[in-house]
Amino acid sequence: VSGYLAFSLNGTEVRLCVDPSRPLLDVLRDDLGLTGTKRGCDYEGECGACTVLIDGRPVRSCLTPVGKVAGRRVLTVEGLADGECLHPLQQAFLETGAVQCGFCTPGMLLTAKALLDRNPDPTRDEMLEALSGNLCRCTGYESIVRAISLAAARIRGDAVDVADSVSPESSIGGGTMRSDALAKVTGRARFVEDVVLEGMLHVGVIRSPHHHARLLQLDVTAAARVAGIVRIITSRDLPGDNGLGGYSRDEPLLAPCDGTVRMRGAPVALVVGETLEAVRTAAPLVRAEYEVLPHTFDAEEAVREDAYPIGAGGNLLGSERVQWGDITASLATSERVFHTTYRTACMEHTALERESVLSYLDDDGRVTIVAGNHEPHWAQDYAAATLALDPADVRVIVPPTGGSFGGKQDPWPLIAAGVVTYLTRHPARLIYTRNESFDASPKRHPYRVDFEIGVSREGLFTGNRARVIANTGAYDAQGFYIPSYALVGSGGAYRWQAVDMLAQSVYTNNPKCGQFRGFGTPQSTFALECTLDEIAETLDVDPLELRLRNALREGKRSALGYPVAESFDYCRVLEAARPAYRRLQEEAEAFNARRGERDVLMRGRHRMGVGLAGMWYRFGKSGALRVEAHAELASDGHFRVFCSAPDYGQGTNTVMSQLAAEALGVSRDLVELINADTALTPDSGIQGASRSTYWVGNAVCGACRNLLLRVIATAAEMLDCSPEVLCIVEQRVVCRTDASLSVSLESIARELTAMGHPLRVQGIFDASPLFPGGERPEYVPFFVSGAHVAQVIVDLRTGEARVRRVVAIHDVGRAINPVDARGQIEGGVVMGLGAALTEEYIPGITRGLSDYYPPTAYDLPEIEVILVEAPSRHGPHGAKGLGEACMVPSTPAIINGVCRAIGARLREIPATPERVLAAIDARWEGEQAV
Amino acid sequence: MLQQWRGAARVIAGGTDVLPDIRRHKWQPECLVDITGIPELGDVRFSAEWIEVGAAVTFADLLACDGLEREAAALVPAARSVGAPGIQHQATWMGNIVQSMPAADGAIVALALEAEVCIVDAVGTRWQPVETVFTGPGVCTIDPTSQLITHIRFPRARPGVGTAWRRVARRATLVLPIVNCAVKVVLNPDEGDVAAAVIAMGPVAPRPFRARSAEAALRGGPPTQEMIEAAAWLAQEEADPRSNPLRASRTYRLSVIPVLVEEALTLALDRARDSLVVTCRRADTAEGG
Repeated sequence: VSGYLAFSLNGTEVRLCVDPSRPLLDVLRDDLGLTGTKRGCDYEGECGACTVLIDGRPVRSCLTPVGKVAGRRVLTVEGLADGECLHPLQQAFLETGAVQCGFCTPGMLLTAKALLDRNPDPTRDEMLEALSGNLCRCTGYESIVRAISLAAARIRGDAVDVADSVSPESSIGGGTMRSDALAKVTGRARFVEDVVLEGMLHVGVIRSPHHHARLLQLDVTAAARVAGIVRIITSRDLPGDNGLGGYSRDEPLLAPCDGTVRMRGAPVALVVGETLEAVRTAAPLVRAEYEVLPHTFDAEEAVREDAYPIGAGGNLLGSERVQWGDITASLATSERVFHTTYRTACMEHTALERESVLSYLDDDGRVTIVAGNHEPHWAQDYAAATLALDPADVRVIVPPTGGSFGGKQDPWPLIAAGVVTYLTRHPARLIYTRNESFDASPKRHPYRVDFEIGVSREGLFTGNRARVIANTGAYDAQGFYIPSYALVGSGGAYRWQAVDMLAQSVYTNNPKCGQFRGFGTPQSTFALECTLDEIAETLDVDPLELRLRNALREGKRSALGYPVAESFDYCRVLEAARPAYRRLQEEAEAFNARRGERDVLMRGRHRMGVGLAGMWYRFGKSGALRVEAHAELASDGHFRVFCSAPDYGQGTNTVMSQLAAEALGVSRDLVELINADTALTPDSGIQGASRSTYWVGNAVCGACRNLLLRVIATAAEMLDCSPEVLCIVEQRVVCRTDASLSVSLESIARELTAMGHPLRVQGIFDASPLFPGGERPEYVPFFVSGAHVAQVIVDLRTGEARVRRVVAIHDVGRAINPVDARGQIEGGVVMGLGAALTEEYIPGITRGLSDYYPPTAYDLPEIEVILVEAPSRHGPHGAKGLGEACMVPSTPAIINGVCRAIGARLREIPATPERVLAAIDARWEGEQAV
Repeated sequence: MLQQWRGAARVIAGGTDVLPDIRRHKWQPECLVDITGIPELGDVRFSAEWIEVGAAVTFADLLACDGLEREAAALVPAARSVGAPGIQHQATWMGNIVQSMPAADGAIVALALEAEVCIVDAVGTRWQPVETVFTGPGVCTIDPTSQLITHIRFPRARPGVGTAWRRVARRATLVLPIVNCAVKVVLNPDEGDVAAAVIAMGPVAPRPFRARSAEAALRGGPPTQEMIEAAAWLAQEEADPRSNPLRASRTYRLSVIPVLVEEALTLALDRARDSLVVTCRRADTAEGG
C-alpha cells in the first residue's frame, strides 16, 4: 500500500509516493538514484555499508522501513560535502589512505560523522566501538581510525601533524593520494550495482540444493510462463563450450542433464527477466530433478582409493613433490625429529561488494562484460569460447570494484552475463546475493599438513618431510596449481639438508576453492611457523634465534631446490623484528607477573603471550614472463597510458600513474590511465601473485621511457638542438640551457602525426632473459620475506583470545607509495587475524554473513608497520610484490602468541574460544595424569 | 488503530527485525504502526521506586542516559552487546523483549533486573513481570497486532543491590552470544547475607532462562566463595543449551556457564557491598554534618 511520504534528504525536502515498508536503502538507491549508499549483505544489517544518518544517528538503511523516516532528516554520503568543499572527514579519508576499494567508505564516513558530532574528541577505543558494526575487508580499520583522528583534530581546530599522510602530487616513495579516492568519498564512484542501463534485464541463477547429485531433468516451462520472464537459459542453449576455459577443468557453466552437480550452489540454469521480482517469482517454478549422490567434505576421506568419485578422473586433482638430499638418513641422524599435524579452515573472501556483472552490446556490437576481475583478457577468451565467438567480438572491462582478494578471479559470473546478453541482445545485470556468494563463490582451500622436521644438536634444521592435503572442493578453479604453492609454505625461507615434500589437491563436495590472498601459501606457512615455535619451545631456544640460525641466505639453495633470483634478505627482516619482539615479550612478562594484583573483575586468569612468525612468499608466478603496456601522446598534448592491471581496491591505478608520471618526468594530472579494458588495453598478464607493481609497473615504465625518447627526439629535431638538453616542463618540451627554446607537446603530437610516426608506443617487460633456456625453474623464483610479532591476551577460563599488538615487518624492495603499502599490510594483518581467530566456513552450514565472522574494528590490535627496503634487482624503482605476503605471517604469529599464553598447542584454526579452552583443558588433564 | 485493522496491522518500534521477518515470510502485515513517534514512549523516567523506559527507547538511548550505570550496572554492557552501534541506534529494548529470542541480550538483562512490562490492549492497561511474556523461541504472549508494551520498568538501585553482566561470543561485536548471563544480588543491609538473587542466562533453554535452584542456593546465607561456586555449578545443571556449529557446542557452553555465573555473581556482590559501604559513608557524613 503506497502513500505519500515527506522527509528531508541531504537538506532538501522530498515527497514521494512509496510503499512505507520498503527498505530505505532501496528507495534511496533505486527511486532517488543516490547510489553512494551501498548494499553489501542481504538486508540483514550484517555489514554496515548501507549506513545513513537519520536525525544525526547512524542506522542501517537496509533494516529501516522507509515509512520510519517521515518528517525526519536523512543524510547520505552525497550530502556530506558542502558543494565542492569536502567535509573534513572526507578530506582526512583521502589523506590517510583510508579508502581502498571504497565500498565500505560511505558507511564509515557517516558513522564517523555521527561519532564526531556527539563526541568531538573520541579516544581510540571510542572510535573502534563506533565503527564496530561497519565491516571493512581492505584497510584493517587502522587508516580509518587515523582519518577520524585527523578530521576530529581539524574540526576542533587543533594543530595537526600530517607528516604521515598523502598529497595529490608526490613522487615515488612519497605518499600519493589515490587517483580514484575522491569519487569514493563523495559517493560518485560507480560500481556495477550503481549502473542501470536502458532495457536492462535481471538474471537469477538456479542452483543445486544438493552437495552432490546427478541432474536428471530440468523443466522450465512453468517458470518461462511467468509474466516478465524473457528467457530461461540451460546448458542446451550455450552456443559454444560449456565450461570455464583454462580457469577450471571440467567445471560446466551450467550443469547438463545427466551430468553431476558437485556442490550446493552449482549453477543449473539462468532465469532472465525484465524485473528482479519476475525472476524471483519464476525461480522456484524451475523444476529440477536430481538423483542425490553420496557426498563428503573431508579431503582425507575423499583421497582414499575406495572413496566415492567426485571428479571425472578420480578425486586427486593436482600433485607436486619436491625431493632432494637423503631425507631418510637426514632424519635418522637428527638429534630430534618433530612430528606435527596442522589443520586450517575453509574461508570466504567476503569482499564488501558481492559478485556483480553488467553486460551489454557496445557500439561495435561486441558482447561487453563489465565486472571486477583479475584477468580481463582471459575472461574475454573464456567467454568467447562459450559463445563460439572470435575473442575480438567480446570485450571485458574492469570497473571500480569493491574488493576481491582473489574471489573475483572466478570468471563464472562474467561468462554467464555474457551468455545472457548474447542470447537476448539486451543489456543484463547479474548480482549474487550474499547467500549465493557464500554458497557458490570460490573459497580458501582447507589444508591438512603433516611434518617430520629434524633438528641437529646445534639447533640446525636437517630434514623436512611434509605431506599436504589441500581440499579443493567441488571443482578445479585452479586448485590444480595449489600443491606447488603449498610447498612454498611448507619449505619456508630456511636451509635444509634434505627435503621430501608432497602436496596434493583433492576434490570434495565443499564449495569450489580457488584463489584467496596468498594462494595456497598461508595455510602451509601457518603449519610450518607454528611447528618451528613448537621446536623452539621444546628445545628452549629463542624463536627468533632459531629462525636466524636457519634462515635462507641469498644465492643458497632453497627448500624448493633452487636459489632465489631476486634480492632476498630474510635475516635483515628478522633482525628488524628483534627490538619489537623483545619489547612485547617484556610487556607480557610484566603483565603475567602482575596478574592477580589488579583483580577488580576477577579477571586475573588472563594471560598474555607473544608469538613470532616469519615467511617467504613467491610473487610473480609462472605463465606470462613477458607483459606489455602502452603509452601514447594524445593530440592535445597529454599522455595516455594503457595497461591491464585491474584495481579492485589495492591501488594499482595510482601506482601505475605514479610510475608513468615519474618515467615521463611530468605531473600526474598530465597522465591519463586507461586500465583493464580488452578493447583498449594490451594484455599485461594476470593480476595475481602480487605481481602488478613489479611486472606491469615495469612495462608501464618501459612504455613511458620509449615514448619520452620519441617525444624528446622529435622536439630536438623541431628545435634543432641536442636531445640531452631537453626536458618536459608542464606541457612543453623546454631546453634546459636556453629557456627561449621550447615546443608544446601538442605541436609535437602534430609533428609526429605529420611524419607518419605512431603516437602510441609499446613497453615490454620480459623476464625470460633472466632465466636462459634450461635454467628456468618451473616457477619464477622471485620471493619476498616478512615477519610478524603478535601480542595476545587469552582468558584462560573461557578461551577467548584478543590480539593487543602486532608489529609487521616486510621487505617491500621499495615502497612506491608508502601510505598504500602500509594500508595493504594493516589490511593483511587483520585478514590474517580473522583466519587465526574467527573465520571458518563450515560447508553445508555457513550460508551468509551472520554465520561468518570477519574481524570488526573491535578486534583491531594496535599495528606497527616496519618497512624494510632491500631494493629488487629488476622491479621498477626497486619495488617487489607485497599484497598477499603481508597476510601470511599474521596467522601463525597470532596462534604462536595464543599458544605461548596458554602453555599448550593449538593445531587447528581458527582458534575459537572452544578450541582454545579444549587445548587448555587437555594440558591440564595431561598435567593431572603426570 | 490496531483494532481498526483487526489483526492486519502490526506494531513496530526500531523495526530492525521487521524487514528480515517479512522477507522470510514470517508474516505479511498490511499495516505497520510505528510507535517511535509517540513522545511519551521515548523517555527514560526516574521515579522514586522505578526506572521506567518507554517502548521507543533504543539501546543507544539507554547507553546515553545519565545515571543508568549507577542504577543497574548490568544494563549498560548488555545494551552495548546488542548487534553493533548502528543497530543499537535503531533497535529498542522493548522490541528485543517482544522478539523473545532465547539469547536476546535485552531480554536476559530484563529478567535479571526483574523488570515489568506495561501491556496495553483493548482490555486495558496492566503491569506484568517480564518473565511471564516469554513463551518459546521467538514467541511471546504479546500479540503485536492487538497489544502493545508501552513501558518497561525496573526497581531503582538501593543499598545492598548489585547487578552484573557477562557474555562470551565468537567475536567482540555484531554476533549472537555463545552464552550471556545477567545477575542481580540483594544483600541484607544488616548481616550482609544474600536476601535474594536472580541469575538469567541465554541461550540455554527455549526461552530466556532463570536458574532458579542456583538462585535458591544463594538465598539466606553469607555470600562466600563456596556459595558462589556452588550456585555456578547449579546453574550449569539447570541449563540445557544446544550445540550450534556456528557458535559453540553444548559441551563448551556448559563448561563456560559456571565461569560466567561465578564471575557475574562475584562482580555483582562486590557492587552490592560497595553500595552498602557508600550508604554507610553517606549516613556518617550526614550525621557528622
